[in-house]
Parts: sequence; C-alpha cells; structure tokens
Amino acid sequence: MAKLILLLLKCILLCGTVYAVFEDQVGKFDWRQQYVGKVRFCHFDAHMQSSKKVLLATESNVFAALNTRTGEVLWRHVDKTGPEGNIDAFLQNGQDAVLVVGNGRFLRSWETNIGGLNWEAVLDSGSFQSACLIGQQGTVKNVAVLKKTAISLHYLSNGHQKWIENLPDSDTVDYQTVYSGGNSEVYVLGVVPHSHIAIVAFSGDDGEILQQSSVEAPWLSSIPESCQMVDQDLLICVDSTTMSLYTLDLKLQLQLNQIPLQSLELEVDPDFRPSLVSHQPNPAKQPRSEFFLQLAPDHYVLLQFNNGQLVVLRDFKPALLVSFATTGEKTVAAVMSPKNKTASSINLFNAETGRRLLDTTLIFTMDPNGGKPEKLNVQAFLKKDDSVGYRVMVQTKDHTLTFLQQPGRVLWTREEALSDVLTMEMVDLPLTGTQAELEGEFGKKTAIQDGLMSMVFKRLSSQLILLQAWVAHLWKLFYDARKPRSQVKNDISMENLSRDEFNLQKMMVMVTASGKLFGIDSKTGGILWKHYLENIPSNAAFKLMVQRTTAHFPHPPQCTLLIKDKDTGLASLHVFNPIYGKMSHVSPPALPQPILQSLMLPFMDQDYAKVLLLIDDQYKVSAFPSTKYVLQQLQEMASSIFFFLVDSNQGRLSGYRLRTDLSTEQIWEVALPTETQKIVSVKGKKPNEHVHSQGRVMGDRSVLYKYLNPNLLAVVTESTDLHQERSFVGIILIDGVTGRIIHEAVQRKARGPVHVVHSENWVVYEYWSTKSRRNEFSVIELYEGMELYNSTAFSSLDRPLVPQVLQQSYIFPSSISTMEATLTEKGITSRHLLIGLPSGGILSLPKMFLDPRRPEMASEQSREENLIPYAPELMIRTEWFVNYNQTVSRVRGIYTAPSGLESTCLVVAYGLDIYHTRVYPSKQFDVLKDDYDYMLISSVLLALFFATMISKRLAEVKLLNRAWR
Amino acid sequence: MSFVEKMSLSWLIVLAAIVAVRGFTDSDPGPGAAAATPLGGDRFKIEGRAIVPGVKAQDWVSTARVLVDGEDYVGFLRTDGGFSVNDVPSGSYVVEVVTPSYRFEPVRVDITSKGKMRARMVNYIKTSEVIRQPYPLQIRSSGPHSYFMKRETWGWTDFLMNPMVMMMVLPLLIIVLLPKVVNTNDPEMRKEMEQSMNMLNPNPELPDVSELMTKLFSGSKGSSKASSSKGTRPAVKRR
Repeated sequence: MAKLILLLLKCILLCGTVYAVFEDQVGKFDWRQQYVGKVRFCHFDAHMQSSKKVLLATESNVFAALNTRTGEVLWRHVDKTGPEGNIDAFLQNGQDAVLVVGNGRFLRSWETNIGGLNWEAVLDSGSFQSACLIGQQGTVKNVAVLKKTAISLHYLSNGHQKWIENLPDSDTVDYQTVYSGGNSEVYVLGVVPHSHIAIVAFSGDDGEILQQSSVEAPWLSSIPESCQMVDQDLLICVDSTTMSLYTLDLKLQLQLNQIPLQSLELEVDPDFRPSLVSHQPNPAKQPRSEFFLQLAPDHYVLLQFNNGQLVVLRDFKPALLVSFATTGEKTVAAVMSPKNKTASSINLFNAETGRRLLDTTLIFTMDPNGGKPEKLNVQAFLKKDDSVGYRVMVQTKDHTLTFLQQPGRVLWTREEALSDVLTMEMVDLPLTGTQAELEGEFGKKTAIQDGLMSMVFKRLSSQLILLQAWVAHLWKLFYDARKPRSQVKNDISMENLSRDEFNLQKMMVMVTASGKLFGIDSKTGGILWKHYLENIPSNAAFKLMVQRTTAHFPHPPQCTLLIKDKDTGLASLHVFNPIYGKMSHVSPPALPQPILQSLMLPFMDQDYAKVLLLIDDQYKVSAFPSTKYVLQQLQEMASSIFFFLVDSNQGRLSGYRLRTDLSTEQIWEVALPTETQKIVSVKGKKPNEHVHSQGRVMGDRSVLYKYLNPNLLAVVTESTDLHQERSFVGIILIDGVTGRIIHEAVQRKARGPVHVVHSENWVVYEYWSTKSRRNEFSVIELYEGMELYNSTAFSSLDRPLVPQVLQQSYIFPSSISTMEATLTEKGITSRHLLIGLPSGGILSLPKMFLDPRRPEMASEQSREENLIPYAPELMIRTEWFVNYNQTVSRVRGIYTAPSGLESTCLVVAYGLDIYHTRVYPSKQFDVLKDDYDYMLISSVLLALFFATMISKRLAEVKLLNRAWR
Repeated sequence: MSFVEKMSLSWLIVLAAIVAVRGFTDSDPGPGAAAATPLGGDRFKIEGRAIVPGVKAQDWVSTARVLVDGEDYVGFLRTDGGFSVNDVPSGSYVVEVVTPSYRFEPVRVDITSKGKMRARMVNYIKTSEVIRQPYPLQIRSSGPHSYFMKRETWGWTDFLMNPMVMMMVLPLLIIVLLPKVVNTNDPEMRKEMEQSMNMLNPNPELPDVSELMTKLFSGSKGSSKASSSKGTRPAVKRR
C-alpha cells in the first residue's frame, strides 16, 4: 500500500515535468491529412438524390466515405493489412454496402450513413471468385457469393446463410462468375479453358439446380476478362483471334451465336485484347442492352442489342475512358476523349440512342507532373428541368482522385499516393532576398577590403531593406486580420516561400510507393510541388539523400533519390531540387551493375554537394558527383573510408575499406548461423545528431563518461525457431569500422517484431515476451567509465577499453507500430521517445523513464541525480499523446528533424495518414510561452508608472504644504 | 476503519476470483501454458459489447475499432455497440476497444483449444492473476480521453485560496471579528479567558518564544511585515 502511494506521488510529481498539449494549441502548429489509399471500387451513394457521399474501397484495405463537396473523409474503417483484410468485392444496395473481405472469408454489411457495421458473417473457406446481389420482384434481399467449389446465398438483412450448394464438377470446371437478372434464378458460369462454358442455374429460393449445361467455346479462357451480361440474360463475349462477338442466351443455352466484327464493319487493333463494358443499374432488374466494346487503347464502340440484332450506335475514336451512369430512369454514357496534350474533354451521350447530350462537355486538365487517367466514375443526377447533369471523379495512374464539375471546375483533388509514404526528408527553406543580403554582409571576406565608407553604406542599405520588409509585413498583418482565418491559411506559394526566423517551417520531401514525389510545406500541409516518376518497378526500394542543402546560395539545393529494384538490384538515380521539385540539370550516372550499398560522405565537392558513394556487386565504388576534384579528394581520404554490407540471407556482416584506386578490400566479417537466427535490422546512428554533454554528473559529483562511438551499429536478430519456449531476440552492438563486437545481449522467450532506436550512447528496443505475453522495452546504455580515454577525438581503431554496459527492461502495456527519438539542434534538450501505437496515438515517452540507472530503492545520491526509482511498468498517459485525438492510422514511420530553436523538434508521422507537429521535450525554455500574459504585465507596469507619478505629485504637494506651515 | 474495510473487501474479491478460477474447467491450460501457436486449428469468435454511458452508439462507432493483441486481429463495432472478432485461434489475447474520443479498459480473453472462453482483468505484472470479468465482454467506457493539460490561469480565487494568504486573512478576521462577537466587558467572560490563557501558558516564569523573537527583530523589521511580504510574493510570481 505504501508503495502504491509512493507510485502515485511520483506520478503527480512527474506529470508536472512532462510535456503535454494545451487545448488552445489545437491546430496551431499541427495538421493531419487523412488518406484512404488507391481506389479499387467506387460507388456514389445514389439512394438519395441529395446525397453527398462517395463510398470507396481501396487496395490499402480501407473502406471509407468521402464528402463529395469537399473531398474530406466522413468516416473510414481501416482493416488489417495484407491478404486477410483485402477487399474482394463491394456491392451497394440502398444505404447498405456489402463487402467481401479476405479472399471470401468475411461478408460485411455497413450502414453507410453513420459508418457502423450492420453485421458480419464468416464464410466457409475457399478462394473467392465473384459476388452479386440477387433481386426478386424489384427488391434486393440476398447476396450470392461464389467460391471455387461452392455457392452460398445470404440474407441482406442479417447476413444469415440462406443456402449453400456445392458446384458440380468443380475439379475440372473453373467457375468464375455469378449473375442474376432480377428473377429468382442465379446463374453460375464456369469455364474449362479452351474447351467449353459450363452454366448452372440455381433456384434462388432453395438452391435447387434448375438447369445445367455446357456450351462449346474452344477460344475462351477467362469469362470476366472477355465476357459481360447484357439485355435479357444474354452472355456476350469477344474474342480477338476469331475477331468475333459471341452471344449466348442463358435461358435457352443452345449454342454460341457468332457475330463476326467485320459484319459490323469494326476492326480490332492488332496485339490488343478487346474488352467489353456493360451496365446493370439495378440488381433487381436486367442489365442494359447497350454496351461498349473496346477495340484499341483509344477506340471504343457503343453497341446495342435491339430485338436480337446487334446495332452499332456510335463509334468513339479517339476515346480514353468510358463509363455508364444511371439516374432515375435515364442511363447515360460518359466518354473521355483527348483534346490536346494537357486536356481531355468528357461528354455525355444518351445510352439508348448514342446521341450526344447538349451542354455536357467537361474539360479535364491533366497535370503534366501526374499520371494518365485510368478510370472514370460518373455521378449523374437529374436537374430541375429533368435533363441529366453530372459530376465525375477521375482516377489517374499516380493514385490521384480529381472530382470535377461542369464545365471543368475542380471541386477537390486527393493525392492518395500519400497514403503510402516510404521515406522522407525535411529540407530547410531558402532565405529570402533580404535575408540573403544580410547574411552576405557578414559572410563575405571581401567586405573588409572595401573600406569603411562602403561598409557603412552597405549596412544602411540593408537596414533600409529590412525596414521596408517589416513595414510590408505589418501591412500584411493588418490586412489579414480583417479576413477570416481559413482564407489566410492558403496563400503559401512558391513565391513567398522562405525560411522563418526560427527555421520552424521546412519543406517536406516525401517519396511514395507509387513513384510520386511530393514537396509539402510543413507549416500548412499544402502540397507545393509533385512529380510523378513513371516506370517505377512495383517492388522498388527508395533511399532519399540531401546532397546539398539550401545554405550554399547561389547553388540550388539538391536531393538525390536512389531507386532500386529489389529483385534485380538494379538501381537508378533521380536528382532534383527539393524546393521546386524540378529535375536537376546534373545528369546522374548510369548504373549498369546492381547496387549493394550507398553512403553519403561528409565532405563536399567544389560546388558544396556532398559526395555519394555507390558500391556495386563487384565491390567497385563509383562516386556521384565524380569530378576530378572529388576523385582526388577520395584518393586522399580513401584510407579512412569504411563501409559495411549486410547479407541477411547468409547471415553475414562484413566490413570493407576503400582503396585509392576505388576498389575495396574486406577487413572483417561476422557470420551469424542462419539455422538459428536471422538478421532483422541493422541500425546506425543519425549523422545529423549532436550530443551536447560528454558525460553524466553523478550524485557524488563525479562524471560518468558516455561511450559515444559514431560507428556503432545495433544488429537485431530473431530466432528462426518460433516455438514460444525456444524463441529469442538478440542484439549485437558492433563497431562498423573494426568489426569488434562491443556487446551482445539475448532476450530469451521473446520474439519480434523488434523496434529499435539507436542514439547517443543508448539503444532502446521493444519485443514481445512470449513467456509473460506482454510487450517489453529494454534499454542498453554504454559508458566509458569515470575517465575518458581520448577526449579530443573518437577513433574506432584506438579504443582499448571495453565500455561498461548497463541494461534494464520494462513492461509496456501496448504493442507498438514504430518508434523514433526526438532530435534537437544542439542536443541540449532532453530526449523523448516517440512511439506510434496501433490505436493511432503518438506517445511521447521521456527517455528518463528508460534509464538503466534507475535504482530499485531511492537513495540520497539517486535523488540528487534526478533518477526515478525503478518501476516495472511504463505507463501510457493520454496527456502524453502529441497528436491528442488526431489519430494516425497504421503509422509506418516517424521522422524527426531539429528546428532553429533548441527546445523544439519537428515531428512528422506517416502511414495511412500524415501528421505534423512540434514537440518540446524540455518545455519551451528558449521562447516566451504562447500564453504569456502581455496584457497583465503591461497593465501592471502602466499602473506602477502612474502610481509613481501620482505619489510623486502628492509628495510634492505635501512637502510644499509642510514648507508653508 | 475505512481502510481496513477496503482491505477486507479487496481480499474478498481475490477470494472470489480464486473460487472462480476453480470453477473454470479442468481443461483450462492456465495463462502460462496456453498454446499461442495457431496451427491451423479451430478458429473462434470473441464477442462483446462496448458501452459509452449517456452517448448513443451511433455517434461514436464509426471511429472505433476492436484490436486484439495490437493489430493482430481487428473487429468493427456494430451500430448498437456490439462487436465480434472472428477467426481467432485459441490462446490468450488482450482485447481493446479503441476510439479517439472515449477511454475503454483493455480485457484479457483466454480461449482454450476447445473454444471455452473467459475474460479477466489485464495485469501485465502478475500475468497469472485472474480477476474474472463477464463474457461475452461488457466493456464500459470510463469517460472521454483527457488529452490536454490545463493552462495555469490567474484568478482572484487562486490568489485568495493561496495558503499563505489564508494564513494571513484568517487571523485578521479573528482579530477584527472576535472582540465584536465575544463581549469582553463581561467580567465573568474575562475571567474565563484569563484562565484559559493561563492554561496555555503553564509556566509564567518561562520567557515567551514569540516575545523573545520580537525583541530580537524589533531593531530591524517587524516580523509580521516580513511574513506578509513573503506571503504575497509567490502568488504574484505564479502569473
């Protein structure tokens, strides 16, 4: 009990020292952007005429509703990643949305108005093929799910199974499609490739097989790819080899009726696989009798079945995309055709006649830095005069959604590529002209030679410029004060982009999996530039490096992106300006060999660009930029350039040294037996990290020096044996230059995923303890001891003493997604760990809690040192969430960057969402608090001033009176 | 008294828990031995209901999720607040209802290989301790999350409630009001007071400490003045 009270007391004491957000700071310097991912299925909520919702099911396993007026997320449900949360099908019925999830494992029905679940049903295992809604007499009551071997029907009201039937001959027939045309019959279509089509008709009421037949179709391999349902239970297929359309009446099921395309005077583009687009506006009714046939990448034909006759309604060439849409009783076809290089026009056509509807042209302007349009989603509605109006959502290859209204007004755009950020960097903004002028005055050496008069003149002129800028700033402040806040926010553009006085505003350069690069202003979150890199392999790995910062005016800043195909190892470089996103004129070298490792050297070439070394699979080194000067420098420094390679497949870590002829020699190798353990991650220290103090002052006033080895690597291994009794997690601290193993720790009965943070003289890692079934944190700290071996410089080659190692472990009451440490400019501010939790919170945990010197019993000395007595459990307090209720889903990484203020660290958390904020690990010690009461202090001052005036006057009067007496 | 009562109450709960554990069938593998390896065996369903008192489920379910052991298994909330997490193999899991607006306590759910379920309190330190909770889960929110620190505001009440100020004001009140309340002219009363004063000061010969102090400091400053300035200064500084 006493212990408990002590603990409580401690909490109370600590909560005063720990950072938290104040309520009035909400949205002041933080922002969040929510994304959903690349759209796979899209439905406009059509059950109400005035609905403002579009429902999206995405490849990131997210199901969301967006507001069509603003593009904001109304609600969003994030499922598990991977195939278990994969959305296979999305069917909409009124205000319910039915999803098939996880390869046909779950059937879920969502209430789309409030975003809650209606029901969830677990289906029998089996790989999912197709699903459709079954209507009967105009109402939809059931949903059919087709699996490899069985078909089941479920009630839409509660998800209960109505019936399940095995499919006949499922070992030979590949059943692919299920279809219902509004009567109670359910048709299942299967194919035996290059042989025949199998058709089974089930009764929707009890699952009885009504009809079963097979029709010869030797040319057919896949039904969904080449066939569609049109008109009255009519299957229509297209085949490129015979250049024909085939029709089959499912009711009669006699044989395929061949219609050569030549008879319709149509021709298929050679090497193009033609396809069909049909439309079934209501699952309780028959599909439309009109359909599109695509004959070439830019050639579509609108066809119609009219009393058994196929009629060509209209030929569209060139046409990029087509789509059908229905509102009320009217069905229209939207066709996008290219207008010129940067714009396309979209027109509506009456589906029944193929006639163009008047005043329906919509211009879609394509972003030159974006991808090509990929899909057209049309929301049609009836105007007051009963004509059809429409809005359109265009999906482009770079995962952008653009929602347009006539005549081409963009209502909103969403950059869904940002849902998959892989890596990012923050780059300082350039100085403005006035700031550069001022810097130039002090920086240049020539200034001294110019003489006194010119210097005075220069100073005066720069002061004048400053005054001018200040007046302009004041005027802007005054002008903005009258405008509402929302309008003021949006005027960040390329022109007024400049560094603020504390360097708090930076450019965030983000690299996404789709190959689209973004430049985002860290203050507002506005996208300032974007650049879509085409031909990026789908499994590419990216590494972003800042070669030249903005500090070297007039040289432009320069970022280099290394894009590497994970399978082949072949890499390419993309060099660009991080502020404007433009490709640099510097041509990157071609890299014919697979690249193993890249490293950025701390020295620069004559143009102030840091040198990037690339090591290929022949262990040859190439430099970028590779000017003569750089090569000469490299030759001089070669003996002090070391690098390491990790081969996790073979469990090998090896260190190399650069030779003067830019070849390499191996100097050490550490092999870990792959039968028992595998290397999961290798973490070095951040190159831009500063450590302010060399040691820690202890309670008895002696100093414990930190072991600050910049070459130290933390290697994490996991056991291959996953049995809970035998699994383990190992951590090896190894010197990257000499290969010397500094320390080795093994956590028995533990398994990954392991998250590691390596900084200063400590390593923090988190793992899952299989014995106690909880997440645990462990911290390792390294100390040199009471005296420093060589206090002037650290050399890995000359450190005879083995550091002292301290370790302590703690219980953490939640699993974590990712972990990072805060970073400040000079490293004076105490450190916090930023922990991304699966709940979406980002916890700011003081490093003070993870200190292996926390004593079990508090003593006088430990109190002197401000050590908290050891408690096994770390706490999660919601006050420590830096993002309060702005949760970040699926945090993949947290990026920290120092700002110009020592107290302030900039934080970006990215995953499905992007969140940016500032944190103050030791509170804001170098600026006035933002709730500083100017009014009070000035009123007190004024009051005192007047009080002295009055009392002085009174005293004078009194003295005078006394003198007269 | 109340402390003892509380102790005995908590003891009772522990006892009840032990009884409850005994009640749990013999096939119970116990928390230490539950097979956590999903060997493609049977999959089970964790069911429950989350309740936010006073708030309609429709207003908050769209932002909520049910997480089982982090993000290993995910469930969603129905429009009535109920949930079920399907396809969970036998083992022991921590089930958590997560929403940015309300706080829910996590619950540990043990599933035996035969599909028997039980729910208990999460205790990461004593992992084998069993305090039973109802199953199907009934998770009641303990209120909204508190994300924000309170700003230190300055008000007259803060100033007046400052202990230093209180210490000053109360004696002042006593000095001013007491003579008015108690009739000092009454001789009997005066006698009584004198007596009580004597009681407080049993040895009149001994020098009074306060008198000594006043004598000591009377040369430089009045002690009361010093204390008063001390009393107000911290309050001002707090702003």
